[in-house]
Amino acid sequence: MQLTIIRRVSRILQNHNNLTAVYALVVIIVAAIGLISIAAGEITFEKDQLYPKTIDKSSPLNPYDRGGSPFEPAEIKAQYPENFPAIGYITGYLSPFATTLIKISPYFGTTIVAHPGGILDEILYATRGLDTIVETSILFIAFTTAMFLFRRDEE
Amino acid sequence: MTDTVCAEMCVPPTDMLYGSPYEFLETGIEGRALFNLPFGDIVNFLTPYTAVLFIFALTFTIIALISKPERQVDTVFGGDAYYTKDIPKDTLKFQRFMAIACGLATMGGIMAGDVFNFTLFTAFIGITNLGIVAAVKNKHILDNAFEYGLLAMVGTLPLFVGAALVLATTGTLSMWVLFNSAAAVPLFAKLLLVIGVIAEGMAPVFVAKAEITRAPGAPYILMVHVSSLLIFLRVIEIVISM
Repeated sequence: MQLTIIRRVSRILQNHNNLTAVYALVVIIVAAIGLISIAAGEITFEKDQLYPKTIDKSSPLNPYDRGGSPFEPAEIKAQYPENFPAIGYITGYLSPFATTLIKISPYFGTTIVAHPGGILDEILYATRGLDTIVETSILFIAFTTAMFLFRRDEE
Repeated sequence: MTDTVCAEMCVPPTDMLYGSPYEFLETGIEGRALFNLPFGDIVNFLTPYTAVLFIFALTFTIIALISKPERQVDTVFGGDAYYTKDIPKDTLKFQRFMAIACGLATMGGIMAGDVFNFTLFTAFIGITNLGIVAAVKNKHILDNAFEYGLLAMVGTLPLFVGAALVLATTGTLSMWVLFNSAAAVPLFAKLLLVIGVIAEGMAPVFVAKAEITRAPGAPYILMVHVSSLLIFLRVIEIVISM
């Protein structure tokens, strides 16, 4: 029997094992649209970014230098600065240990960021703090699920 | 908007883009904002449209909070005997926790006033849906949960790429700015957002295929459907308004 297009498509879609493949196909189509629109010049980079990023290679905090010195506000761009009056004070502060590390070598930037008392990203933890809360909640839920499934067979 | 046009029209650009916070200059389908709830740069809000969705999500979260799980009764054919399916207490607790978390994530996604925050809440909904489905101890259902998990993981790629493209092409993520026509979001970014949400909200399809809507622990499965429906309605509102 000759299958109509709708029947042929629905025969593929009704099998939920095909859903991942169908979705991948949709992603490929959208990516193709994206490539065409980039080639057509529809997508342009906006120069006036809300969260700019500059890299100062001579700084000992490279590549994480966000400016500012302890107890003086740094220049931080925010969408609504009035929501956060103490803006700029977080990113400049370094613990005494971090200050010592700066003096030892100019190549400890990543180490300073990674240890407690290092650079705190003001955008990540203050002006966009809700994002960080949601991210950690996602991790919490993921670990809860993994823990439940892992320990279920113990009883 | 190209650079040359912007140089003439929006000088200084900060006045136009960041000028009037907490007010939509043009209101499309969503209407005026009822109130705003600032968290630094992320200013959440409810409009009449999203307020309806919010109340819907709140109602179903309360239902998940107070309801007892469904206990199915199977009658033995040809006799007086019947047996009931019991739900283990740890499964019940886990599913209830996941359902409530899913409700909270849905309410967060509905209130989100920031594109990246919205995508994060969508990923949150995806992972709680996975938890609800994966708690049922049945090989058939766990196979489906695995398939859905794969899809949800793949879906985070277009979801977050969409949010990144919105930031790159407009310079901001706040919906208060993006909902005005001064910020032009390319079609590609909108498409990516939509297909990202499709992958995260695909859970009801797998739920229906696995036939666990009336399986043990039934009322908590409802949250999967509610969250997917509401997050679809929200992303359509965002994409149309942007």
